[in-house]
Amino acid sequence: MTIELIRPGRNRIAPAPKPLVSRDCGPEGCEVDWLASRRVEAELDVEAFTRFSLEMGWGDGLPLIPPTDARVRTFLSENDRYPDEVIGMMPGNVECTVEKIVINAVMAGAPAESLELLIAMISSIADPDFELYGVNATTASVYPAFVVNGPIRQALDIPYSYGCLGGVPGVSAPIGRAIRLIMRNVAGQVAGVTSQTTFGSPGRVAGIVTGEWEEKSPWAPLGERRGVSGNAVTSFGTMGTMNVLDTTSHSASDFLEMIGKSYAYAGCNNFSGAVPFGEALIAINPICAEIVAREMPNIEDVQETLWKFASVDANDLNAQHRDQLAGQGRVRADGRIYAAPEPKDILVFVAGGLGGLHAAGFHTFGTSLAQTKPVAEIVPAEHSIAAE
Amino acid sequence: MATGFVLDPTARRADDITSPGPDAGSLIGKRVGFRVDRMWRAWDWISELWAEKFREAGAEVSFWRSAGRSGDEGERCEREYKAFLESIDVAVVGLANCGSCTGWTVRDAITAANTGLPTTAIATANFETFAHEIAARGGRSGLRVHVLPYPLNEQLKEDVLPIGEAHFLPVLQTMGASLTAREQAA
Repeated sequence: MTIELIRPGRNRIAPAPKPLVSRDCGPEGCEVDWLASRRVEAELDVEAFTRFSLEMGWGDGLPLIPPTDARVRTFLSENDRYPDEVIGMMPGNVECTVEKIVINAVMAGAPAESLELLIAMISSIADPDFELYGVNATTASVYPAFVVNGPIRQALDIPYSYGCLGGVPGVSAPIGRAIRLIMRNVAGQVAGVTSQTTFGSPGRVAGIVTGEWEEKSPWAPLGERRGVSGNAVTSFGTMGTMNVLDTTSHSASDFLEMIGKSYAYAGCNNFSGAVPFGEALIAINPICAEIVAREMPNIEDVQETLWKFASVDANDLNAQHRDQLAGQGRVRADGRIYAAPEPKDILVFVAGGLGGLHAAGFHTFGTSLAQTKPVAEIVPAEHSIAAE
Repeated sequence: MATGFVLDPTARRADDITSPGPDAGSLIGKRVGFRVDRMWRAWDWISELWAEKFREAGAEVSFWRSAGRSGDEGERCEREYKAFLESIDVAVVGLANCGSCTGWTVRDAITAANTGLPTTAIATANFETFAHEIAARGGRSGLRVHVLPYPLNEQLKEDVLPIGEAHFLPVLQTMGASLTAREQAA
């Protein structure tokens, strides 16, 4: 067996930003806004509907907004999508349409202006290389974390500074929650039924929706480095966040050594014999990033240094684990096992508060590969007509 | 309290094949294809044991080993699996012994069944209900699922092989298979 190097699928359809033309249908809807979903009678106050949603298996236990026709139509009317447009195929070959995205977004309390971001997020996790089939079903505690790039961060107020990974009031929690409801209600991920997740995770309620602090980053934005300039979202199937505290280091290599060595623990999925290959996602705070970039202006050097340190000595694993990984060709000539096959597979972005001191690591579930998709921008109707 | 109508947030496919699909019938002269994986040595041992018994009965046997299902490797796996299915007459697909591997076992079994091949998925007891649930979501609630004990992979080879022996005739029954023409006639 040889080491499996991560290469994106070559035959996948490349994402392309979709120019959207404004349609003025209004909240009462128009012909193209016809909604196909089953209507279910329910009590419409939030408390009663939340109880009802749990009985129906739709909810997560937090209060839900009843997705009435009027609310769903209003949400759609503020955007420019046909409700029957299929955004992606979910496990079981289930179609995820714009209509289902909007219904779940309404329930989660996500704003109408987040629809294009939600669509890009769903498109990213529906990509075959994200391997949602495994993510949905696994015993692991995996859930998607999303890193947003481009001006849409400011437009939607996606956090990228203090508390950006969770706990900041605003839209990131309802947007993340909408994705989680879609994963439940469309992708069918229900713990103990279609998901064997052993422990689950608090991240399975609202996920992680963070921005990159591009303005403070010494390197190009993550999305741009992954082929999508401007508004983009990158999804990463993560087992959760891992904090790295470093109040001691001074140099780039010292910081990166601390982060890399902290990332590499034997029991994380990156070192499992069940995971033939995996990526890593690491957030560096802006203060640390600036120091690192003085020595390493090229992000590839940062990735290589992190990669080098995010490894374990094969002899530190017990014999069974070591032998299994050796059988897979993962013990390199230097006697070490690396968290990711190549430096390029260590994904880095800059975020977090200016207090510095901490970095954040995200371990992979496994062969679920990070996906970067563009967020479509609406072209006002008059511009479209003028262009014609 | 005000009542009204809300839109159903769920989606699942409406079609379903409740039939288990064709019986494997007499295995004499047929090629039985085992789908194995990189995780479960117990399934390697049991599939090898059953393969030997199939050969003794006059069947031919092939193996295909699943690997990563994303990226370049995922595309290679898809191509290989399709070619594998074209080369066999009967599919035995395992092992559903964890969450994601049950997902992929059932998905690969459905792919095989959808080509018309007599197909049986192999699961361990802890994942039996899960396998049926995923099969139903995938549009084949009737998928044949043969259940081995759990835990399985945690046991030593000398403990696993007797389990394989004990399940040989039962798995034939699940497959709708027979080893001889006489059995088939009976």
